[in-house]
Amino acid sequence: MNWNVDPGADKPPSQQIVALILDALARGEIESGAQLPSVRQLAAQALVNHNTAARAYRDLEQAGVVRGKNGLGVFVTDAGPKIARGLRRDETLREFARIAGEALRSGHEPRALVALLSKISERKSA
Amino acid sequence: MNPVLQVQGVSKLFGDRAILCGLDLELPADSTTVLLGANGTGKTTLMKLVLGLERPDSGTIRVAGLDPMRDASAVRARVGFVPDRPDVYSWMTPRELFAFLRPQYPRWNRTIESRLVERLSIPLRTSFATLSRGEAAKTMLVAALAPQPDLYLLDEAFSGLDPLVRDDVLAAFLAEIDLSGRAALIVTHELDLAARLGDRIAILANGRIAACKSIEELCGVDEGGGGGGDQPRRLKQALSDVLEGSAA
Repeated sequence: MNWNVDPGADKPPSQQIVALILDALARGEIESGAQLPSVRQLAAQALVNHNTAARAYRDLEQAGVVRGKNGLGVFVTDAGPKIARGLRRDETLREFARIAGEALRSGHEPRALVALLSKISERKSA
Repeated sequence: MNPVLQVQGVSKLFGDRAILCGLDLELPADSTTVLLGANGTGKTTLMKLVLGLERPDSGTIRVAGLDPMRDASAVRARVGFVPDRPDVYSWMTPRELFAFLRPQYPRWNRTIESRLVERLSIPLRTSFATLSRGEAAKTMLVAALAPQPDLYLLDEAFSGLDPLVRDDVLAAFLAEIDLSGRAALIVTHELDLAARLGDRIAILANGRIAACKSIEELCGVDEGGGGGGDQPRRLKQALSDVLEGSAA
């Protein structure tokens, strides 16, 4: 999986890592019970300091997505994938609503936006 | 817990020119502090003072409670230092350098040494005179990580490397650095790197630490965890705010 983090992006690096892991869970690339990289491995893959990687795991643990087992590592909880899908869907839907509002304000016809959405969805299922 | 590095009221003059004047800086355990500042503001001088290679004109410095002037060899054994340019005899090979350094560091870890040599493909039998800039930088990094020091001091350790090599070196550094009970001070002028590596950002201007804040504070993370993005640009803004403020 690609752990690429950009400090210049809108979200701080720890939240970018959270989003990457939630996406991978939501897409089924990581399953419940799977072991995630250690804090140190995660930091080395994302090229961020250890505290940033640890903060990402703390946030995911608070959301109930992962659990740290003492000395053994970080594991995805049974409910992890379901929670991840919920969180990412809520977040992306909010973002979609915001962008859709902006598109309408800038003069796009609702019909054109719906057509674009069907086209993207067809391309994805093709 | 005592800070790993404590610098209090340190001044340093070269001739009648004050490079540092009353500088205070503390590095708590488990932290990485990035030191930013314009060229010639004394960042390298500060590192030399911490290593006991220069004597402060006033003020005190303690590394894990030790005075770098009085306990020079004990302090050097606790500090892993990457200079901005390798300070190694040009005839030496990485293998000879490691053999020379090992006895000086009681906690030198040969497993870390060989893991890094392999990971970074360091040519052990090539002299520094013929090593590339990247290979020399990698070798110096091994010499700072293998001793498992209390304090890591990195002076532009990742600069001048091509982007792919830089990412490899950075990944190796992050995979091997151990910050539990320890601290790192990293000098860089690359703001992307500062945002990646620093928990805390210190800005040196006019011989003092003009600001020292957590990256969240500097980059405006709000209470709910929102904001806090666009970090290199925010660091640049903070840097120019401090420099303008200190010039006024």
